[in-house]
Amino acid sequence: MNKPVQVGGAAPSFALAQQQLIKMPYALFLGVSLRQGSNGLETLTADRADLIGNTNLPAMHGGVIGSLLDITGMLTLVFLKALDRSPRLIDIDIDYLRSGQARPTYGQAEIVRGGRRMANIRAVLWQDDPERPIAIGRLQFLLPKT
Amino acid sequence: MSLFLKSLKELPPFGQALGMVLDEADTGPGVAVLLPGAERLSGDAEEAVFHSGVILATIDNTAGWCIRDHPDYLEGTSMATLDLRVDFVTSASLDETLRVRAVCEGFDGDVAFVRATAETLNTKVLIATGQATFMLGTPSTPNPASPATAKGGCLE
Repeated sequence: MNKPVQVGGAAPSFALAQQQLIKMPYALFLGVSLRQGSNGLETLTADRADLIGNTNLPAMHGGVIGSLLDITGMLTLVFLKALDRSPRLIDIDIDYLRSGQARPTYGQAEIVRGGRRMANIRAVLWQDDPERPIAIGRLQFLLPKT
Repeated sequence: MSLFLKSLKELPPFGQALGMVLDEADTGPGVAVLLPGAERLSGDAEEAVFHSGVILATIDNTAGWCIRDHPDYLEGTSMATLDLRVDFVTSASLDETLRVRAVCEGFDGDVAFVRATAETLNTKVLIATGQATFMLGTPSTPNPASPATAKGGCLE
C-alpha cells in the first residue's frame, strides 16, 4: 500500500524505520515488529493477553488499535521519507470497523500528501484478510525540522 | 460518581498493563482516570515523554467508563467504539501523571457521544482532547433494554 507514494528525493530506508522503532519504548512494549515486503513497510504485532480490552469476547483494546495505527503511520513516514528524527503526531481520526480478535495484527500506511512541514497519512490495520480491515486512521504528522 | 464506578475493581487487561487508575476522589463532571508516567509508556527514549498512543488509549478507556457511569446506562450492555478523534495539543513529561476526564454528552439506547481531555495532574497543562462515539448493545452481547436480554458486561 505504501509503495506507490514516494515524496521527496530520499529513497525509502528500512534501517531508519527500524532504528526509530527501537528507540520507542512504548512500541516495543506493545511488541511491534517491522518487515519489508514487495508491498512496502508492514508492522506486525502478536496477540497477547495484556492487550485485551474486553475479556468477554475477547477483543483487543481500542487503545491498542489506535496506538498501532499511530505507530504504523509514524514508522511508514520515517521509512518513505528516510527521516532520521521522529515526526510528531498532531491529530488522529480512527474508524473502528471490526473488533480486533486475539490474533496477530498487521498494519500498513501511505502518505496521502507529504509537504515540507506536514504529512497526511492513511493507516490500515487487519488480521486475517487485508481486504477486511479492523480499523483505518487518518493522521496528521508534523515533520522534524530539516 | 455512581455505585458502578465505586465498586469497580477490575480494569481491562490493557488498562492494567498501562497502569491506569480510576480517580475515586474525583467529584466530576464525568469520570477521571489517572495514568502515572513510566518508562514503558515513553514515545522517545531520549525525550521521556508520553507516547501519543498511550494518551489515546487512556482517553478511549475513560470514555468507555463514563458511558457505564451514565444514569441511563443499563449494566451489562455491551458497547463498541465506532470512532475516536484525538488532538495532541502538547507533549507530557513522564515525570508527570496524566489525568483524563471524559464526559458523556449524548446518550440514547443505541449511541453515546463522549468528549474527553487529558491534562497533567500537577501543572494542569492541557495535553490532548478527544471525541468518541460508541454503539451500545453490540451483537456479541445484546442490549438488555431489548427483548433478548443478556448478562455479561463489557469493560472497554
